[in-house]
Amino acid sequence: MRIDRRWRRGWPWAGLVLFLLVPLVQPEGFYLDLLMFTFMYAAMSVGWDIMGGYAGYVSLGHVGFFGLGSYAAALLLVHLGLPVFLTAPLVGVMASILGAGLGFISLRTRGPAFVIVTLTFTYVAQLLMLDLKSVTGGSKGLFLPLLDLPANLVIVPFYYAMLALLVIAVLVSVAIRRSKFGLGLIAIREDEGKAEASGVNTSLYKILAFAISVWFAGTAGALHAQYLNYVDPDLAFELIITLNLIIMSLFGSRGIVWGPVLGAFIIYPLSAYLIFLLPSRLAGQVHLVALGIVLVLVVMFLPDGLIRSYQAWRRKGPIDRRPVEARASIVEAAG
Amino acid sequence: MSPGLLAQSLVLGILTGGMYALMAAGLTLIFGVMKVINVAHAAIIVMGAYLSLTLFRHLGIDPLLSVLLLIPVFLALGALIQWSVVNRLAERDITLTVLMTFGFAIILEGLQGAIWTSSYQGIKTGYSLESFQLFTLYIPVVRLISAGISLLLLAGLYALLTFTKLGRAIRATIQNRTAAQLVGVDVRLVTTVSFAIGIAIAGAAGPLLGMLFTFYPATHWLWIGKLLAIVVLGGLGSLRGAFVAAMLLGIAEQVTSVTLALGWAPMIFYVFLFGVLVVRPQGLFGAVERQSL
Repeated sequence: MRIDRRWRRGWPWAGLVLFLLVPLVQPEGFYLDLLMFTFMYAAMSVGWDIMGGYAGYVSLGHVGFFGLGSYAAALLLVHLGLPVFLTAPLVGVMASILGAGLGFISLRTRGPAFVIVTLTFTYVAQLLMLDLKSVTGGSKGLFLPLLDLPANLVIVPFYYAMLALLVIAVLVSVAIRRSKFGLGLIAIREDEGKAEASGVNTSLYKILAFAISVWFAGTAGALHAQYLNYVDPDLAFELIITLNLIIMSLFGSRGIVWGPVLGAFIIYPLSAYLIFLLPSRLAGQVHLVALGIVLVLVVMFLPDGLIRSYQAWRRKGPIDRRPVEARASIVEAAG
Repeated sequence: MSPGLLAQSLVLGILTGGMYALMAAGLTLIFGVMKVINVAHAAIIVMGAYLSLTLFRHLGIDPLLSVLLLIPVFLALGALIQWSVVNRLAERDITLTVLMTFGFAIILEGLQGAIWTSSYQGIKTGYSLESFQLFTLYIPVVRLISAGISLLLLAGLYALLTFTKLGRAIRATIQNRTAAQLVGVDVRLVTTVSFAIGIAIAGAAGPLLGMLFTFYPATHWLWIGKLLAIVVLGGLGSLRGAFVAAMLLGIAEQVTSVTLALGWAPMIFYVFLFGVLVVRPQGLFGAVERQSL
């Protein structure tokens, strides 16, 4: 029993040490790239889940923050010469401020406003980048200066940066989960009216959660722009990124720290393999259809995700779908 | 802006707005009965455009005729999808239902790309480029026809909702689902029928969209943004509101594209969308949503 607990505490650190060592053994190639993108998606999914899982408000617009992060970092580098590795966290903060603004528009009320705003925001952002030609280069895009590194080692700093982002994401998520703030978010998910009545400042909590949630998308977007050395409106705002975050969180389990991480570590390598297998003419379309089908299937048959379903299976009991009244203790504890 | 140009923009705006109203009607109807934003709505419209394009190219069927052909097909598909999957989910979790429609939108986009490639398409008939002069105004024939068909279909929908028993049941369900159930309305059936009608209108709008605008698989993201702006401005769930908002935004779009640059015209929709959400979240005709504790 004690070994079990120690193992449970220890395995994330063991995994971290392992991932820290990978570039020393194999400093280039396909697998490093694969792991780097897995970290990126895992970090953004954990971020998405702070809003979508804890507070229960699903965002359909995280790629908007990713894309604006890409552009902000690219512009800071091209016009002011500031290196992306320094500006990335600040670009994330810009995304958070913007997120708070959008949250102010859409989160003061309950209902569908949040879905509408997050869904359309991506398109607005893309349109702006396309139309502000004098600054962003329009549809031609922006080229970023290359990093001064040998070609086979250039991925290494990105690998560690994305790994760091993932570690930060998990730590932040754990901290929120253990805090009164996290309890408040879960209370909002379970019953927003009761949460408000018992003293949770629901609007503030939701706006704050969304601001934290999009920091990871903005920062990841900044790093991604420098990794590609290029940014254009189509590439920066690829909808498939939002789709991936949603599927990864749902598939792993929403509202559980490790759920989105598990989802990302399963879904991303599988997608990469799928794209690798398909003929390039069809790869994009089939990938899209496949992800869409996965989303619909997960929503229909595995809405609680792998971790929660596994826990339920081990207890050999049904998943906790008690009526909300039975969970009032959560709401009271948060208030 | 000269008076002549303003009059021209008004006419074009109203003609385009008529079609926008048709496209938005299904979206607001589905929201009304289910409280779900159908993210796939515009993807379904674009699907209608592609089907009509294929019918026209391979069988020579005029897009105006395919409007009539597509209605029963989409009605049946809508009913089937609603009854088989959407309804079961919607009774459990609305958030998941929205995600499911998001998944549908992605699947449709991918399928369209795989079947018709992702290059730009448009339905060009013999009368596509014709126009006539009315006083000083320039009237494109296709816009006039599409506005006429849209108004006919909307009038039909209005009659259905106003004068039939089914229509009363739908309106009752929109106003208060629980109360409708209490007085004996079969809300599940009403929901399925309304969803199917919403999808059928979307399918019917497809050929009209295809005749007026170029389209490619990802265009539906542009359109869902425009449609959401319309239904939010009109008040979610309000058909009358959607109609008025469609006209307003159709005109606003034309005026912007004439006074500012063409590239900025889509932005006017989002300005309205975000503005309305800040100032008056319930829209022009929407009721304030009350939620019991």
